[in-house]
Amino acid sequence: MAWLETLVNGALLGGLYGLLGIGLALVFGVMRVVNIAHGEFMVLAAYFAVMLVSLFPHVHPLFVLLPVVLAAFAVGYLYQAAIVNRVVRAPDPLAPLLLTFGVSIVLRNLMVEVFGADVRALPLGELSRASINLFGLRIGVMPLLTLVASVLLFLLLQWGLKRTRFGRVVRATADRRDIVRLFGIKPDRVYNIVMGLSLALGAIGGVLLAVRSSFTPFSGVERLLIAFEVVVLGGLGSFWGALLGGIVLGMAQLAGLKWDPNAGLLYGHLLFFVMLLIRPAGLAANRA
Amino acid sequence: MTLLEVAGLDVFHGDLQAIFDLSFSVAEGEAVALVGANGAGKTTFLRALIGLIDRKEGSVRFDGDEILTTPAEEIARRGLCMVPEGRMLFDTLTVEENLMMGLLVKRSGSWTLQRVFDLFPILEERRSSLPRQLSGGQQQMVAIGRALMCNPRLLLCDEISLGLAPVMVDQIYGAFTDIRKEGTAIVLVEQDVKRATVASDRVYCLLKGRVSLATTTHNVSVADLTQAYFGT
Repeated sequence: MAWLETLVNGALLGGLYGLLGIGLALVFGVMRVVNIAHGEFMVLAAYFAVMLVSLFPHVHPLFVLLPVVLAAFAVGYLYQAAIVNRVVRAPDPLAPLLLTFGVSIVLRNLMVEVFGADVRALPLGELSRASINLFGLRIGVMPLLTLVASVLLFLLLQWGLKRTRFGRVVRATADRRDIVRLFGIKPDRVYNIVMGLSLALGAIGGVLLAVRSSFTPFSGVERLLIAFEVVVLGGLGSFWGALLGGIVLGMAQLAGLKWDPNAGLLYGHLLFFVMLLIRPAGLAANRA
Repeated sequence: MTLLEVAGLDVFHGDLQAIFDLSFSVAEGEAVALVGANGAGKTTFLRALIGLIDRKEGSVRFDGDEILTTPAEEIARRGLCMVPEGRMLFDTLTVEENLMMGLLVKRSGSWTLQRVFDLFPILEERRSSLPRQLSGGQQQMVAIGRALMCNPRLLLCDEISLGLAPVMVDQIYGAFTDIRKEGTAIVLVEQDVKRATVASDRVYCLLKGRVSLATTTHNVSVADLTQAYFGT
């Protein structure tokens, strides 16, 4: 029973991991750019949330998500317009990689400068400790809410890309960025919005992760690693794959921790390594 | 009334010049064939017209306005549209979604989804299919329909018969009668000289980036065309 509980909790954590990965998957899928600074932007969103919570102590912490998400969208839009669009057409894939890597370093050090290197957390009070009893399993309310939110966001994103006009434009731009121009579409503007969405999703993940575990300006690397593993596990560019990858990773991590409490993220990483060997195209490869 | 007027156009690929001092015109509602051997610069010329190549000099006037430096997005909105070589469909969009892309230029006119389906009935049957599930000819129909959905004033067609079965080519060329009825002007780029000249009012021949022949199609002789095509 204890093991089952661990696995269920791992799956719940996995929903959050999926959220960390989906923004990365979206940007990679649409513009073939790996945004190395994704993790730093998530941490930045968490800092912004902590700041808002301390400024407005009477507002429930979950409500700060809205301004944080809007700000993250704006930051993503500007980040793409001012920086990433300069290299997105580079014939050499190394150019965007180096550029976003540089941005991640700058952001990390800026955060140390502005917020200090102390460990922070986003306290949620009662809610973070609440749990319910489900068929004899003790399940945290907050992790459950997180998984529900992730699934809803995945559904929303999927629906938006499949059914809306903007989704059609995004897919067409991902397919052929030159040809969409013949239909009056500026690919750069599509990229701006996609990066905005990516960082908005990342911000939700970043804030919810900050509720679960503390963070410092250096936590971006860890978050990027998880996001990266989730995306590769799931199959590059596949959204449901990313959710599935997140869940698998979360389960492996918590099961590993239970078996060997000193392991940290080791078993998640080992699983990732093994999966790379036996199924390098990812879990959702056949359906992508 | 002249719709497109190109004068003294030079186009460059990096350091190489691909088009030299080219003059070219299309009247409203006219069909013009542009023929020439592989590498003569036909596709480069079209891509420069439509705004996909930036390195160019000279003058391109469309409907009286200079559009040499106008970006491709804006040129499309003015009604200069293209069926690109190799069809270039959006691979993850269904047939219907590909066609709907034409609506994004927001030009009003007589071409609607239903009219494209009337023109190419097979597309209505395959509306939910992805391009890779279609035959080459059907893909070409999608590419033409997608451009028609823009309600173009001038439609540039690049090598639309390339690699297709003759019966398919007949069907596609048959559609041009309907398209021209709407008053749409057409530029047909072809390697199949005979096919292109039959369907057009005038013909230009390109040779190594220069116009080697410009004449009406009803009094062009095979000998002149051969000479202009091969430059011998």
